[in-house]
Amino acid sequence: PPVLLDSSSSLLFSLLLAQLPVLTSASPVPQRRPSDLDKLSNQTKNLMKLTQELLREHAFDSDVEPHRFRSLPEMSNRSANDLNNLELKPTLSQLHADLKLYEHHFEWLNKVSKKHHHPAVPKLVEVIREMKSLINLLHRQMLKVEAPRLTPATPSLPPHLPYQFDVLQSSHELLQHFKLFCDWAYRAFISLKPKVTAVQ
Amino acid sequence: MPGLLSSPVYLTVVWFLSWSLLPSCAQIWTDEVSDVQYGRLESNVTLACGKSQIRTPVVWHLNHSSALPWHKVTSDGALVLLHVDHSAQGNYSCYDNDGLLLHSVKLRLGRPPGLLSISCQVPNYTHVRCSWVESVKTFLPAKYNASFRGNGQMWAPCVLDIVRKRCDIDHPAFWQAMHTLRITETNALGSETTYGQFRLHELLKPNPPESVLVKEIEGYPKRLNVFWNIPSSWPQHDAFPLLFQIRYRPQGSIYWSEIYSEESPAIIFDALAGHVHQVQVRARDEVNSESQWSEWTPLLLVRPWQVYTTPDPAEAFLPEERDPDYYFPITPKPETSTPKSHNPVPDDKGNLGLVILLVLFSVVILTTILSLIFVVWVKQRRHDHMTKQELTSMVKMKTMPI
Repeated sequence: PPVLLDSSSSLLFSLLLAQLPVLTSASPVPQRRPSDLDKLSNQTKNLMKLTQELLREHAFDSDVEPHRFRSLPEMSNRSANDLNNLELKPTLSQLHADLKLYEHHFEWLNKVSKKHHHPAVPKLVEVIREMKSLINLLHRQMLKVEAPRLTPATPSLPPHLPYQFDVLQSSHELLQHFKLFCDWAYRAFISLKPKVTAVQ
Repeated sequence: MPGLLSSPVYLTVVWFLSWSLLPSCAQIWTDEVSDVQYGRLESNVTLACGKSQIRTPVVWHLNHSSALPWHKVTSDGALVLLHVDHSAQGNYSCYDNDGLLLHSVKLRLGRPPGLLSISCQVPNYTHVRCSWVESVKTFLPAKYNASFRGNGQMWAPCVLDIVRKRCDIDHPAFWQAMHTLRITETNALGSETTYGQFRLHELLKPNPPESVLVKEIEGYPKRLNVFWNIPSSWPQHDAFPLLFQIRYRPQGSIYWSEIYSEESPAIIFDALAGHVHQVQVRARDEVNSESQWSEWTPLLLVRPWQVYTTPDPAEAFLPEERDPDYYFPITPKPETSTPKSHNPVPDDKGNLGLVILLVLFSVVILTTILSLIFVVWVKQRRHDHMTKQELTSMVKMKTMPI
């Protein structure tokens, strides 16, 4: 009988213990699952932050724009008003194509920086990794809403950068351009959020 | 002939001739009356006595007076003013020996334009306003031409307001690394073009938040509720979120406390009970961390809720004389605000959560107590049962024959 008594006490104690995780997980405010567009905007913000860090740490500030890259996504036709009237599928497709183009440029920059033993290489690798992750996320979203995949433009990259200075300058131009693209893309994803909900 | 005069062809010819000749006559008169010559300050200025070469001696007058600034008259009757200053400006006339007016000219002095000092304000993503200050005071009327472009774009006009010396660009292509403003200033003595390069993302500076209001929270002597509206010039669109910074301190303290919020209202949880606080709010673009914070809103003075009923006229908050922007959102609490009103209203999700947690905890405690009572009861029952069995066996043992 004392054994029985002990077992019932321990059973009760176990029951109480079992309730503990239930209690701790029962948050008073239920956590909202981030939507796909939330994930996309968060990942874009993360990329923008990494790019800013790279700009701060490694590129040099120059008022002279070298214009080495002729095939970067066009930003001169994007104004604040356009964000009010974005259409879901074409915007997702365009952002995907733009990101693929940036991916090519960054991989080129990574290769050139490695050749010149530039200290920014590890972070550049990180940026490329995060960019690929964003491209995959975006592609999944495109499949969900049946947005077409655009034919990627052919990047025209500078043929040869003989000096470290050229690498720095190119790096600055590319990072600066990409930072602004991320800013735009982040706002575009936020603007598209209600439209995705309407489609799904 | 009368028939010809009244014909439509004749009338048309007369109308055309009168239309084409009249302006030119007016031009000639204007030239005769007010022929203006411009000269450069601190230089020598030559005024010719008419267009033809004059051999006879001439006499020059300035504003009908024979007193002239430092000068010489050349053999052909031209007046050379030496190292002119502003006093040399006026109406010059040359006469022949018989006092007959040969020519008159108005002299205006100044300088050719110099480079401009340009600055741009960017209060949002749809509007850029650039203004300029002249580095050289020209003293002469000028014409301006301003245009704006992003990297590799076509020049677009920047809409001028010459009186205020500024120009406006609506809906610029904002997401470009660098923008250039080109302003050409032209006056009678020359022309100068100034180029200014700007990074709009770094210049972006919203206007301060509007309609800021700070309220006490009844029942909470250490809390303040801060409300505001986004600047009216900022786009009301999800794509342009703002981050707000609220700073506050007890009046008299030199140390500010700060909190950040993405939306109004924000609650200050650690106000100093019973003290009047100064509160200010400012805004910045939430996405673009390189943009600038807006100016702070004017100081607001407010005291957190307190157990206090008698209104004291001496307690009325007087504005500090050095700052005329003080604003007083406090209305004296009516006497009905009694100290017993301690019922904290669950005014946010946090408090509601706490209540739910407390209820759950009470249920657990109750279950535990009930279970323990049950266990004790079971134990007691078993114990009684055992005692009974022991007694029975003892009785049995006693009755057994040895």
